[in-house]
Amino acid sequence: MRLFDLVMLIFIMWIMIMIVSYFLIFIIGPLHIEIFHNSSDRLITSMIKASSAIGLVVVLILLLGMLKTKYLQKILLRK
Amino acid sequence: MIDLLLDIAIYGIIVSAVSFLVIFFITPPFIKYLNKKGKLVVDYHKPGKPNVPRPAGPVLLIGIVVSEIILYFLIQDTKIISVVLSTIIAFIIGYIDDRKTMPGWFKPVALIFAAVPIIVFGSHGNSLGLIFDSAFIPILYIPLILAIMPIVGNTINSIDVFNGVASGFIIITMMPLLVSVILFGNITVFLMGLPLLFGTIAIYQYHKYPSRIFLGDSGTLLLGSMYAGLSIAGNSEIIAVIALLPAVMNSFLFLASVKKIVEHREVKTRPVSISEDFRLVASKERSAPATLVRLILARGPLSEQEIITKILILATFSSVLAFISIVIQYFFMKGIISL
Repeated sequence: MRLFDLVMLIFIMWIMIMIVSYFLIFIIGPLHIEIFHNSSDRLITSMIKASSAIGLVVVLILLLGMLKTKYLQKILLRK
Repeated sequence: MIDLLLDIAIYGIIVSAVSFLVIFFITPPFIKYLNKKGKLVVDYHKPGKPNVPRPAGPVLLIGIVVSEIILYFLIQDTKIISVVLSTIIAFIIGYIDDRKTMPGWFKPVALIFAAVPIIVFGSHGNSLGLIFDSAFIPILYIPLILAIMPIVGNTINSIDVFNGVASGFIIITMMPLLVSVILFGNITVFLMGLPLLFGTIAIYQYHKYPSRIFLGDSGTLLLGSMYAGLSIAGNSEIIAVIALLPAVMNSFLFLASVKKIVEHREVKTRPVSISEDFRLVASKERSAPATLVRLILARGPLSEQEIITKILILATFSSVLAFISIVIQYFFMKGIISL
């Protein structure tokens, strides 16, 4: 039972990685933006895709940080 | 086809056996050598605080590099050279840290250089496998490689807190990586991974509880960087990250707590302490860094052996998740499942 919390924490981390992968492949991947209707659109789309992907990873890290704080408060610091 | 499989099997057996036997048989004399030279460190977690020889990095390097050279003469693929060079660079960085206490930034920054051979030899792909499909990111992939190498190297380094943990961890997490490399990478990278697996199994015989030798930074950085190199060359980065989740969590918790890159020895408030009966106790101090071991001990003290078992159970669990991810990725790749 001692490991159950940690196993759940790892499981949640895995689910979060899967969700981020899903977003990257199915939401951000097919994204195409047309502004100037020339070759610069491709560059703009790539920059937006890269920024979104990095942003998503940052959100993932922040969520993991929040998860850690909650877990610590629940288990370690309540006693 | 049968001839090809037979060749692969023979090559695999040769490189696995060479790596295992070299490391298994040269470690005992190397332990004697380290004892004679006084290259010993204190094992604080045991009664009497015995001195243990360190580092095992050189024997790991010899065994793995010899078998990789043999593999190169059999296959002649430059991927082998690139991963071996990365491993050697990581070993040198670790060895410097073993010999001389370096500041906290040294290992993460220096390990960026270990990624260079992979990039220079072009051993990486242009797509990142993301379970449901691959993302074609030829330019973004380069900085990603430069980040993966220090992260994985330091992740394995930071999990090496008890007897046999780092080596046991690598043995367990190599299983999903090798399967992933066969399915999504190529056979050469799979064969390159065998010396790491069997070399680590050999050193585990001496590193497991109670340790007769410690890996040292040279050993852990070598293991971590080679693991990273194989995952990059074998298009299995995300699978590797999933398999390493407990170790990744450990590094992340530590970094999120101390909010800067420092060595564990530089931390003022220790995350765990040792009781009189040599059981480990989690710190109740708010300022103490959160580590995987501290979380394991949150519900009460444990002996060193009990903690080791629990960390390896977590590694097994994350490896199972990695296997599930491999199955999902394979089904998506083959078009058996689609969304």
